Amino acid sequence: MLLVTNLHKTFKTRTGPVTAVDAVSFEARDGQITGLLGPNGAGKTTTLRMLYTLMSPENGSVKVDELDVAVDPTAARRRLGVLPDARGVYKRLTARENIAYFGRLHGLDEATIARRTTELAKALGMEDVLDRQTEGFSQGQRTKTAIARALVHDPRNVLLDEPTNGLDVMTTRGLREFLKHLRSEGRCVLLSSHIMQEVAALCDRIVIIARGRVVAQGTPDELRAQYAEASLEDAFVKAIGSDEGMTA
Amino acid sequence: MSAFGVLLKKELLDVVRDRRTLLLTLVLPVVLYPGLLAVMGVIMNLGKERLKNEPLIVATVGPDAATLLARRPPPPKTTYQPKSRAEAELALKDKAIAAIVDVPPGSLAGLPEGKQVVATVLYTKRFDRSMQALDRLKPILQALNDSELTGRLESRQLEAEFVTPVKTDPVDLEFQKDLGPLIASRLLPVLLLTMLALGGIYPAVDLTAGEKERGTLETLLVASVTPTQVMAAKYVTVALAACFSALANLAAMGGTFGAGLALGPTTVTVHFGPGTLAMMLVCLVPAALLIAGLALAVASTARTFKEGQALMTPLLLVILLPALASQMPGVELTTATALVPLLNVSLLVKALALGTVQPLHVVLTLVTVSLSALGALKLAASAFQSEVFRFSGTDGWKELFRSWRKPV
Repeated sequence: MLLVTNLHKTFKTRTGPVTAVDAVSFEARDGQITGLLGPNGAGKTTTLRMLYTLMSPENGSVKVDELDVAVDPTAARRRLGVLPDARGVYKRLTARENIAYFGRLHGLDEATIARRTTELAKALGMEDVLDRQTEGFSQGQRTKTAIARALVHDPRNVLLDEPTNGLDVMTTRGLREFLKHLRSEGRCVLLSSHIMQEVAALCDRIVIIARGRVVAQGTPDELRAQYAEASLEDAFVKAIGSDEGMTA
Repeated sequence: MSAFGVLLKKELLDVVRDRRTLLLTLVLPVVLYPGLLAVMGVIMNLGKERLKNEPLIVATVGPDAATLLARRPPPPKTTYQPKSRAEAELALKDKAIAAIVDVPPGSLAGLPEGKQVVATVLYTKRFDRSMQALDRLKPILQALNDSELTGRLESRQLEAEFVTPVKTDPVDLEFQKDLGPLIASRLLPVLLLTMLALGGIYPAVDLTAGEKERGTLETLLVASVTPTQVMAAKYVTVALAACFSALANLAAMGGTFGAGLALGPTTVTVHFGPGTLAMMLVCLVPAALLIAGLALAVASTARTFKEGQALMTPLLLVILLPALASQMPGVELTTATALVPLLNVSLLVKALALGTVQPLHVVLTLVTVSLSALGALKLAASAFQSEVFRFSGTDGWKELFRSWRKPV
């Protein structure tokens, strides 16, 4: 479970300070997929980076399974499986080597790494590319490799930054099924997206973020009720005050 | 295996699989020096041979020039052609002829009376054929001088010693044996630091700015490792790449120049005992660590690989400056210079090559360079502690020194 309380983050720029995240609070529960929904530049990636400890908030706290990430970031990272926006797959290593490398960094033994690699490759449908160097991989193959690498240590909490970005329809469908499978295993899944339809199709809870602030959160039904709209799309538009992020 | 071990193993694997790094740091230098020497040798020999067999025309100005030169057979592949001075100069300018021999009219008649004939050879350094013509004419004119001189001395019943009351007699005391260490003391300090820098900078850029650009750095820092462990593995990888590159370069260069010098007329011996070689290797390690730390710290401030490469040029100059300073006259390894990082390594290598090293200076150099290397590691590691460097923000340099003050 992830508990985010009152996060603040400001960046210095040449034209002055820019508040990227402003008093963001939300909860992502186990056995649920929580969507961080917002237009481009809303502060989703910065929020996620504070969650996975690569950025320090100026204010506020993040707890991963009751563990404060500011107190023990390394222990917190062990409980997280992270798919960053950049994916970050080593192109001179094979997919298997990429996965095993992170398994070893998380302190897993070779037998466990081999077993997890096989399980994840099967679940993600990437057995055929497992022993190929990732240079030249398609976007979908890279994303699958990055997800397998993020989950090799079997984390309870999974953070995915725009997981379906650049993927074709079939890969997106496969990935959505995989995320549902993670939910069925009781994991806490938090994904960010600027695509309304994706969040609507997957998430149990939605946190709508705009201009660095949480403007609404709840289940899809709660959001529709809150904004008195029959469609989630219209509720989203009302919440953020524009029609940004409507296109898939 | 520890997290550091896992990181180091992967970084080394990455470097070994990077064909560009291998090419730039190992294969190219090893192939480059023997290849360059061979190509240069072939080109020079071909050029020499071509010039040697080139038919050349030498203009003679005035009848006395033709008469004087006719006293000896012309050099091979050389033809004399009488011309006026103006015509000859024009022809030389147009490369139609290779040189001009001008003897003032009537001066030849003065020779039997003991007078001097001035044979002016006009040539130009602008083309090789003209230089070749001068080389061909010199022995002919020298032979004419010698035979005339012999005749004059005989007619006056004088010995040959009469014209050389003070004779220069150069005696070779085989000081050439010292030429090897001297050459080594000049070449090695500059080469060692250059090779260390060249071998280290490409992997340093690839492992920092390159990782940032490819997005793998963010992924790596999300794993259960500390930024210091990540940087330490990169640090050792870059230092190893620098060391291997320097050693491969030196071996290739030593082999190549050894073979090249042996082919020449002078026998130059460069012999280092095992102790000297071991001491050079001992210097190489802290120097490589220092250069690796500097290269990583600087490259970490770059947002992209290209930007990192651009930053390496001034760094290379900074590294080479002490190496070049070590070649200045009077600059030697003293207690003071042993405390200046990189300059001390250059001077130590120089002193080792010349055999003038003192134990205190060795200790001071190693301690200074090792401490500087630790400082460079701290600086490089502090870069990875900073959000600015992780996410390619602005104000990189200010942030680098701000994060330097924080504990790593």
